[in-house]
Amino acid sequence: MSNLVRSELLKIRTTSTWWWLAIGAFLSIALAFAFNAWLASETLSGGGEEFGYTGDAASAPAQAANLYTSGQYLGLMFVMLIGILMVTNEFFHQTATTTFLATPRRTSVIVSKLIAASLLGFAFWLVTTVIDLAAGAAFLSLNDYGTQLGEWEVHRALLLNLMAYAIWTVLGVGIGTLITNQLGAVITASVLYLIGTQVVGLLFLLLANLLDNMAVLKWQVVWPAAASQIMITPGENEMLPAWWVGALVLVGYAVVSGVVGILITRRRDIS
Amino acid sequence: MTDGQPSPTNDAQIVVSGLTKQYRNVLAVNNLSFTVEPGRVTGFLGPNGAGKTTTLRMLLNLVTPTAGTATIGGHRYPALADPLRHVGAVLEASSAHKGRTGVNHLRVICAAAGLPRERADQALELVGLTPAATRKFKGYSLGMKQRLGIAAAMLGDPRVLILDEPANGLDPEGIRWMRGFLKGLAAEGRTVLVSSHLLSEMQLLADDVVIIAAGQLVRQGPVDQVIGSMAQGVRVRTPQADVLTAALAEGPATVESDGQGLLLISGVDAPAVGRAALAAGVELHELTTERPDLERVFLELTAGKAGIR
Repeated sequence: MSNLVRSELLKIRTTSTWWWLAIGAFLSIALAFAFNAWLASETLSGGGEEFGYTGDAASAPAQAANLYTSGQYLGLMFVMLIGILMVTNEFFHQTATTTFLATPRRTSVIVSKLIAASLLGFAFWLVTTVIDLAAGAAFLSLNDYGTQLGEWEVHRALLLNLMAYAIWTVLGVGIGTLITNQLGAVITASVLYLIGTQVVGLLFLLLANLLDNMAVLKWQVVWPAAASQIMITPGENEMLPAWWVGALVLVGYAVVSGVVGILITRRRDIS
Repeated sequence: MTDGQPSPTNDAQIVVSGLTKQYRNVLAVNNLSFTVEPGRVTGFLGPNGAGKTTTLRMLLNLVTPTAGTATIGGHRYPALADPLRHVGAVLEASSAHKGRTGVNHLRVICAAAGLPRERADQALELVGLTPAATRKFKGYSLGMKQRLGIAAAMLGDPRVLILDEPANGLDPEGIRWMRGFLKGLAAEGRTVLVSSHLLSEMQLLADDVVIIAAGQLVRQGPVDQVIGSMAQGVRVRTPQADVLTAALAEGPATVESDGQGLLLISGVDAPAVGRAALAAGVELHELTTERPDLERVFLELTAGKAGIR
């Protein structure tokens, strides 16, 4: 199995795709960090209401947590895309034949892709977090808010961020096995991630108004990207489920797509 | 070839038995059985759509058979402990990532198969691709791609080689190289199974042939035997074609005439034609026995079974 994981990581390292995605992720960190830093300095100097930040959300730890996870929104999409490409590349470039000749046990191939994907998700998280921590701590100290690095809320955000990176990469592999057409998988997943979440949010809002019941909004959690947001959002109320509900839903999607992907791949004729 | 004695080379024998693949609308392979022996080059022949590629892919566990089995050295492909150390395959639709270099393509396979990464450089050397090792696959010519495919197949120094249309896209020099390479591998005692539709090339390369059409076995055996089993023809040139045709009409011969003095006669041998001509007082300008070549045998055996199904 370790041979296979090594082979999967080598596949990623020996093409330029992941460089482009890494550059994209880095740019999105830079943009998101600049925005979040501005947001934090506005909020912490008392202007939080303008952005809807009141109470806990306007506190220094909450703003620090937000700053230290800058770039997550697009970063998660990039690691998902890497996960997708790990599978669809095999069909797009017709390397699936070579791969399954070297390893006829197809379950092992997919499992090794899942492991390699989680390692990659971890690496992305690590680099992102190191950049965010260095820049964020410097920014907060320079503005006399303190680094907030001792706060549980900050630790919690960092750990859940790690979990999000790992799960979304795995989810990407699952999506890739379900939609092997490269272009189809990449476009479908990106659209669902970027636009689908807004559309789903709107639909649930309409439904909640229609039923005159705001608790309906809780059910947005069935949508993966919404679940991901809920997982990293502290607190719960009648419209917002607890973080672990989001986590469970997300893990559920990753497990189901992984298992279905393995079953489909085992049966597929490679020609 | 098999005399019932357990031979030391049996671990490299390919046995296909009752193999069947039913796709939704097409019976691609229909109860196909044949064996391929070590130490020989076996040509796997058939018209387009005969089921050659599907058969090879079932042999390698890439396509699941509807019925029947295919084994290599007595084992199904996925049951081989180190498949690449037993079997090397070059399939038509096997390719490499366009943006990956040749040597990295091979290193990825080495990593997956647990082979030392130096094997990648050695395999490139073996097929003469070392100068292009660090070039990306998208810059490779068709011939270089084929050589890279062969390098990938040779990584594990396998006892069995399976190649699907390896001569496709090779220039004459490349084809000659391939012929020498495969003959050399067979001479070392390896099993070499090559599918092709280039019949003249097969006649030069193969020791045995397996001919299939419409998913079924048509003929199997040593090339000479398969060709020898076909009726030989006699070619005659004479200014009195009509007289000779009439004289031969008594016997079992069938005569084809081009209307300009050339007769192609089958059913009788050259001496019989000569005697008939002498008896009828016919002047002959040419009398030759025509040994059919592989192409003629192939076309005759697969006649009516070819084409789109």
